[in-house]
Amino acid sequence: MKHNQFKLSLQNLKKSFTTKGETLQVLNGVDINVEEGGFLSVIGPSGCGKTTVFNIIAGLLKPDSGDLFVDGIPTTDLRGRVGYMMQKDLLFPWRTVLQNVTLGLELKNLSPSEVNDQAMDYLSTYGLSGFEHAYPKTLSGGMRQRVALIRTLITNPDILLLDEPFSALDYQTRLYLEGVLIEAVEKYKKTVILVTHDIDEAVALSRNVTVLSKRPTVVKANYKIDIQDRTPIGARSDPRFSEYFHALCAELDIQTQKAA
Amino acid sequence: MKNWFNKNQNNRFVQIGLQLFLAFLILGGWELGVRLGFISAFLFGSPSGIFTFAVKSIADGSLFVDTWTTVFEASLGFIIGTFVGSVLGLALWYSPFIAKTVEPIVVAFNSVPKIAFAPIIILWFGTGLTSKVALAISLTSIVALIAAYQAAKDADIDLQGLMVTLGANKHHIFYQVIVPSSMPSIVATFRINVGFGLVGAVVGEFISSQRGLGHMIFTASSLYDLNTVWLGLFTLMLVGFVLYFLIDWTERRLLPWKLSDHKTELRV
Repeated sequence: MKHNQFKLSLQNLKKSFTTKGETLQVLNGVDINVEEGGFLSVIGPSGCGKTTVFNIIAGLLKPDSGDLFVDGIPTTDLRGRVGYMMQKDLLFPWRTVLQNVTLGLELKNLSPSEVNDQAMDYLSTYGLSGFEHAYPKTLSGGMRQRVALIRTLITNPDILLLDEPFSALDYQTRLYLEGVLIEAVEKYKKTVILVTHDIDEAVALSRNVTVLSKRPTVVKANYKIDIQDRTPIGARSDPRFSEYFHALCAELDIQTQKAA
Repeated sequence: MKNWFNKNQNNRFVQIGLQLFLAFLILGGWELGVRLGFISAFLFGSPSGIFTFAVKSIADGSLFVDTWTTVFEASLGFIIGTFVGSVLGLALWYSPFIAKTVEPIVVAFNSVPKIAFAPIIILWFGTGLTSKVALAISLTSIVALIAAYQAAKDADIDLQGLMVTLGANKHHIFYQVIVPSSMPSIVATFRINVGFGLVGAVVGEFISSQRGLGHMIFTASSLYDLNTVWLGLFTLMLVGFVLYFLIDWTERRLLPWKLSDHKTELRV
């Protein structure tokens, strides 16, 4: 497949870190490709360099070598094109909900009145009306992640990069927010990359899964998840769900059957 | 709920009552000791003597002049020292290279008891207001600098990363992440530095001055006028109290996001 078919394509990424004179090869030629409007999960065993991949895509880290393409055009830096969400909600505790949401727009020097109207629209869409002047510490975990989601969406990046955004939440809130996310992604036509170790979430949410190997990391396998129903509960109820789940567990060498 | 509130309210009254009783016990015991001759009025003074002198120096206005002098010196030193120190400490975040370079100097300066600088400071800045303020600044600025720099270094790296992906430059990160997240540490130094400001002012006055509470205490003690010494000390205590509550009030205004709506209480 050629890189110009993809929204985002990372080819042959290599990255090593040197600490105390010892060089640790983390990424040893990793390819990540995601189609326009696609939803790709990147999974792998712990320590395989998922965070490194995340930081490279977010534009926080430069790879030692490798090519980056956005819409088929060679790129050196993805900063400003990618919106990201992490497990930590990363809300600024000294800013109110409204001020947190408008942060990205303020950095683009948009006029405050325009910014506030837009933010209030988003807040009411996601059921946060009435909380605009509250400080984050007074909100529940689920509400905080919704604020973080709005902050990510409002700057309108083409690509959303997620690092286990819901793994700190309780299961109910998590299913609910997965639904909110999928709806938002379809409504605003975003391309999504989810970096996770949570196989359950990867299968339920994504269209494609890239499995990374142990360090030095290469791509071990690519899966296409062929489940039509994309609601969090619907996808988990699909008969093929557990098939994919077990297949991916096997890729990560996780024992899913009781050993005799 | 109502019951619980009342119980707390009652506890508060009992507490204040006990505190007043304790103060009465100490002062009463002291006075009684002096009257009965157990305690030397010459070396320890007496509450009634302190009271008489207090009334006199309030009436002739000298206590106000001395108090105001010291409060003014201490506050000016506290404000300038804390401000300059905090700004420098935060600014060091911009350049880890400069920060590393000046670190030994800061550590060296911090390890000297600043009071030891008092004699040269008096030589340089004279016996008036400036030298007391300078001494207070030398005490407060270093505390603020170290606290602000440490807080700036410890600012959440993920928040900074988020700012970068949103297209922020270094100045944006400084003003939106580093400064606000360092504020709690900086405000915490206010409490320490209010005390250091008073130390600077009083010690400066000990060495050379015409007025101020430090001057009052120092001259009175060389004349064995213990009642005046005590009056000076009690006034300083009162000043410390008032300044502490002012800081408390400022803290609540500067850090509204730190206030909790509902107090959580842990019973152990």
